[in-house]
Amino acid sequence: MISQFFVLSQRGDNIVFRDYRGEVAKGSAEIFFRKVKFWKEDGQEEAPPVFVGITLLKNNVDGVNYFHVKVVGLLFVATTRVNVSPSLVLELLQRIARVIKDYLGVLSEDSLRKNFVLVYELLDEVIDFGYMQTTSTEVLKSYIFNEPIVVDAARLQPLGPAAIFMQGTKRMPGTAITKSVVANEPGGRKREEIFVDIIEKISVTFSSSGYILTSEIDGTIQMKSYLTGNPEIRLALNEDLSIGRGGGSANDYRSSYGSGAVILDDCNFHESVRLDSFDMDRTLALVPPDGEFPVMNYRMTQEFKPPFHINCLIEEAGHLKAEVILKVRAEFPSNITANTVVLEMPLPKYTTRASFELEPGVTGQRTDFKVANKKLEWDLEKFVGGVEHTLRAKLTFSQELHANIIKEAGPVSMTFTIPMYNVSRLQVKYLQIAKKSSSYNPYRWVRYVTQANSYVARI
Amino acid sequence: MSGHDSKYFSTTKKGEIPELKEELNSQHRDKRKDAVKKVIAAMTVGKDVSSLFTDVVNCMQTENLELKKLVYLYLINYAKSQPDLAILAVNTFVKDSQDPNPLIRALAVRTMGCIRVDKITEYLCDPLQRCLKDDDPYVRKTAAVCVAKLYDINAELVEDRGFLESLKDLISDNNPMVVANAVAALAEIQEHSSRPIFEITSHTLSKLLTALNECTEWGQVFILDALSRYKAADAREAENIVERITPRLQHANCAVVLSAVKMILLQMELISSTDVVRNLCKKMAPPLVTLLSAEPEIQYVALRNINLIVQKRPTILAHEIKVFFCKYNDPIYVKMEKLEIMIKLASDRNIDQVLLEFKEYATEVDVDFVRRAVRAIGRCAIKLDRAAERCISVLLELIKIKVNYVVQEAIIVIKDIFRRYPNMYESIIATLCESLDTLDEPEAKASMIWIIGEYAERIDNADELLESFLESFPEEPPQVQLQLLTATVKLFLKKPTEGPQQMIQVVLNNATVETDNPDLRDRAYIYWRLLSTDPEAAKDVVLAEKPVISDDSNQLDPSLLDELLANIATLSSVYHKPPDAFVTRAKTASQRTEDDDYPDGNEKGYSANVGDGGASPSTSSSSVPYTAARQPSPAQVMPAPASPVPDLLGDLIGLDNNAIVPADQPAMPSGPPLPILLPASTGQGLQISAQLARQDGQIFYSLMFENNSQITLDGFMIQFNKNSFGLAAAGPLQVPPLAPGAAARTLLPMVLFQNMSPGPPSSLLQVAVKNNQQPVWYFNDKILLHVFFSEDGRMERTSFLETWRSLPDSNEVLKEFPGIMVSSAETTMDRLAASNVFFIAKRKHANQDVLYFSAKIPRGIPLLIELTTVIGNPGVKCATKTPNPELAPLFFEAIETLLKI
Repeated sequence: MISQFFVLSQRGDNIVFRDYRGEVAKGSAEIFFRKVKFWKEDGQEEAPPVFVGITLLKNNVDGVNYFHVKVVGLLFVATTRVNVSPSLVLELLQRIARVIKDYLGVLSEDSLRKNFVLVYELLDEVIDFGYMQTTSTEVLKSYIFNEPIVVDAARLQPLGPAAIFMQGTKRMPGTAITKSVVANEPGGRKREEIFVDIIEKISVTFSSSGYILTSEIDGTIQMKSYLTGNPEIRLALNEDLSIGRGGGSANDYRSSYGSGAVILDDCNFHESVRLDSFDMDRTLALVPPDGEFPVMNYRMTQEFKPPFHINCLIEEAGHLKAEVILKVRAEFPSNITANTVVLEMPLPKYTTRASFELEPGVTGQRTDFKVANKKLEWDLEKFVGGVEHTLRAKLTFSQELHANIIKEAGPVSMTFTIPMYNVSRLQVKYLQIAKKSSSYNPYRWVRYVTQANSYVARI
Repeated sequence: MSGHDSKYFSTTKKGEIPELKEELNSQHRDKRKDAVKKVIAAMTVGKDVSSLFTDVVNCMQTENLELKKLVYLYLINYAKSQPDLAILAVNTFVKDSQDPNPLIRALAVRTMGCIRVDKITEYLCDPLQRCLKDDDPYVRKTAAVCVAKLYDINAELVEDRGFLESLKDLISDNNPMVVANAVAALAEIQEHSSRPIFEITSHTLSKLLTALNECTEWGQVFILDALSRYKAADAREAENIVERITPRLQHANCAVVLSAVKMILLQMELISSTDVVRNLCKKMAPPLVTLLSAEPEIQYVALRNINLIVQKRPTILAHEIKVFFCKYNDPIYVKMEKLEIMIKLASDRNIDQVLLEFKEYATEVDVDFVRRAVRAIGRCAIKLDRAAERCISVLLELIKIKVNYVVQEAIIVIKDIFRRYPNMYESIIATLCESLDTLDEPEAKASMIWIIGEYAERIDNADELLESFLESFPEEPPQVQLQLLTATVKLFLKKPTEGPQQMIQVVLNNATVETDNPDLRDRAYIYWRLLSTDPEAAKDVVLAEKPVISDDSNQLDPSLLDELLANIATLSSVYHKPPDAFVTRAKTASQRTEDDDYPDGNEKGYSANVGDGGASPSTSSSSVPYTAARQPSPAQVMPAPASPVPDLLGDLIGLDNNAIVPADQPAMPSGPPLPILLPASTGQGLQISAQLARQDGQIFYSLMFENNSQITLDGFMIQFNKNSFGLAAAGPLQVPPLAPGAAARTLLPMVLFQNMSPGPPSSLLQVAVKNNQQPVWYFNDKILLHVFFSEDGRMERTSFLETWRSLPDSNEVLKEFPGIMVSSAETTMDRLAASNVFFIAKRKHANQDVLYFSAKIPRGIPLLIELTTVIGNPGVKCATKTPNPELAPLFFEAIETLLKI
């Protein structure tokens, strides 16, 4: 089981440090930070999330195993001396971060420092003698007595999945999701509301001829409830939803494409979810615990229409010169707008200069040539559905090309966020809250968002 | 509460501690609470606030839980440093453990268990006994963990007071949280005990399987991991267990999924029905793939586990290769693991897709990833013979891009492909040769040279190509030198013309006379002897058909694989090492016998193999750590041959064999004989003699190894157990491979104060020596104090007198040596001076001579010595005075040795 838990800032300062078993020497945080900072092993320069520490002094392995995850720039670390389940510890670290965020509203170095007493109180209930006790915000509420001191969220960079709703659309009550689950509003009364977010991260790889090589959706139905009295909730999904690709061959599903059915490869559910009628009518019943949690995770490789089509042309244009033409078309309806769209493309190593030409009259677009890593960057603040944008770049090289220019540039990678749009067509048909009285009508927010995970076009 | 906690971090101008003290004793509760918060804040930033102990403990008696928790947090931190004061808290703890509020009861036991002070532990037993039977599940589950805490402090107490039975009763508790904690506590206790404590019977099994469904996710993992020790009786029971566990695969918590997978894999071993197994594999695949949608950290763990699973059961994920394709934003540690699995899953059916991916990766930015991708293409070629040609054409395409590190990596793998498929793809050699002059990495150079040598007869200008390397021969790294040597011999055997003849002469000269690398020299002599006795035999040896290679890099030994599979979902499965390789027994250190302190011999040998075990056929003989041999070391090496290199091959053949084969004659090392510590009869033919020695102010362990066994022994390593002076090796042991009958002598530099054993000084030095062929040998040596006598031990007369006087008489120790005779004061003085025992003064007392000496041992400890004797008559009385009189016995041993000689 774990020996210690600590949170380090990016600079390596101890923000929180709790020793549960007194079996690991005090300097572990420093040893850990130095290891991670100057990692160079196995030809890799990034420390894996699990590694064993070595002390040179004794010339053998000191038996301390380090686990870490990065959450909003902070390092959440655990140490152990025994052969534990690594996924258990890593999962725990993520969960601790989530619980703290539930309590503090915002997870940051500042909020942790301001609330250290509360954080220690939480840590004592979450872990006892290195054994996980509970990470449910709901359960913890009965044992935690400190009140959070909420830091001003407006001053902070928005973080986590909540952030994706804040830009662009005015329909979203952006600050709501950064409020603490337990803290009272300044007015004293809590607003009755519930958020259900369908977040889909999509990965698509296009071949050089524009075909889809691989495509995948990692989806989550995330819930955050601010309802008092823990009413039961029913979530209804698409009735034609089916699970499992049956055959097993990656090509089988193509036949079903176009039939409109949503076919998930696999899915799993939060432990509070009851699936009594799921097989019959695809509804999930649950009493949502406090705090943010995933109701359901799902994975899909069923073919879908990629939201953006990328077309890249690169041609030699005379001696030591070349031209890149990058065309991107939004394949979603025009009432939808994607935001924070960024395209990147590595250029040949001996590119010395790149001059850009955008379409005449466009605004909110920015181009850059990163000399250090020879990368072209194209930022588009907004991208309206159905529209196509083009970028032309003229490149100058310092030496002759070795081979085909296509081999030395690309691929084009793209990141974006599309609010109120989901590619899987999985839907929450309705969100039913068991009524306490006829006047009880809490706010319900069902929100969709699609984000790029790995969206790559080879050239 | 108002304001921010961070205000507690601000300091006041007035003394902080007195101010806090005042506030802690305030009448107002709020003020006291604030003060305790400030104390905790100071504590967390590392300030010492232990002086406030009494004041903080005084705040403990409160109904306010928030304040109580803070005080407890403080107590856990400081109780150990203030054990006497901690007693003050006991009454409150005992009282709290009977509080009507269950939270306070639980808090009291939880905290008491964290305070590792004997006096407190005594008082813990009764409250713990009560809490284990408490009505409130929260108290019971806290008490369950507390038993594990107590066991860690005092195992006997736990067994004597019957806590283990109470804990076992909790397995049947109606609250799943309590069950989970009881299971966790029992599992931990079992881990530290050699007696069977927590045995899982079929009865407990069914109870735990029922509890599983109601537990929290964490409890589910505790239970699943405990159950994985259960051995099902037969296939039917195994199937039943699996059926109960399969629903866990749908859990959102990855740890639950992986622990369930582990359970299922273990039970599958017992299930004989192929249908059931196939069905289970089908059920496990989607959840395993889903793990790759989690955070990258979890993905890494999942991939390391999947790597093991597909080695044992390749069919599980055979159709899922696409999910292992790298995403451009995957962290590098995820990408590398995915590559490994892609190679493992590559088949004739999907190789085109896979190659397309690898080709794409090979043009990415991250150099290490690119190299690994190129190597992956080669490994696929070796694995799938029908795809080899396609792999080669991809490699050729990559070479054409002319990115230096891609080219070099490609050449390395092409060498292996040639080796795997001889006489198939040599047509591409010309393309490879174009890149010859851009190669600057040793492995790539060595590979290219191997190719040239191997195919010398098909490369028209092979001699020219090789010659271009010869100029820089002395500067090349050893692996290139070895390859050049072999390639030149091959060239000569294939084209015995004048050019190659001259080349071979240059190479052999370089590789025998000019080098101090034993590998290179040995190989050169072997070739030399072969060529001079029987060139046909040389051909048979050097150009012999080579055994077929397979891609075994990163392939685990089956027995290790089985052990790791039993450890799926543990750290073992991430490191790919058995648990005892990294779990130290530090916790039980006090109970161990001294011999256990030797690090496991296997551990070292294993980690040395962990790296890339790349199947390079040509560099296999350079496995002896070259650096060890190359450093100028006192290790005995073979004398270089005296005879000059002959002019031409004719002379070579005519040479007297004996003159050039010194390797057959063990060169007898020189020096005084050393005491034999490991006789050949005990060491399976290996005899070790050794003694500590001092040379030029430095301590050495002088060792002699004699190999009287029938096999060559190599890979010698040495390790010293903890000893009174913390003596340890300052560097690796440098002993060349010992052929049967050979001997070597070496001086191993030593350092002091590394790993000191407690207790009174002892002269015992325990040594362990291992080599690659034999078990680890343990033997005992005696530390002679005089090797520590330092060169600066001479004292001025006055300071000698002063020191003598300043030390109390109790520090003077006396011993008589009736058998020793001093025949001449001068000889004795000289002899002692040679060992850094310095003469101070001499006086006559009656008929006796009294001689005074001084010596000094490290850390500046002086030894003042008085010898009283009648010169020419036996009997010496020796008195010594030193600040460390406990060293006297060792000193007398040393002085006796010195006087006896």
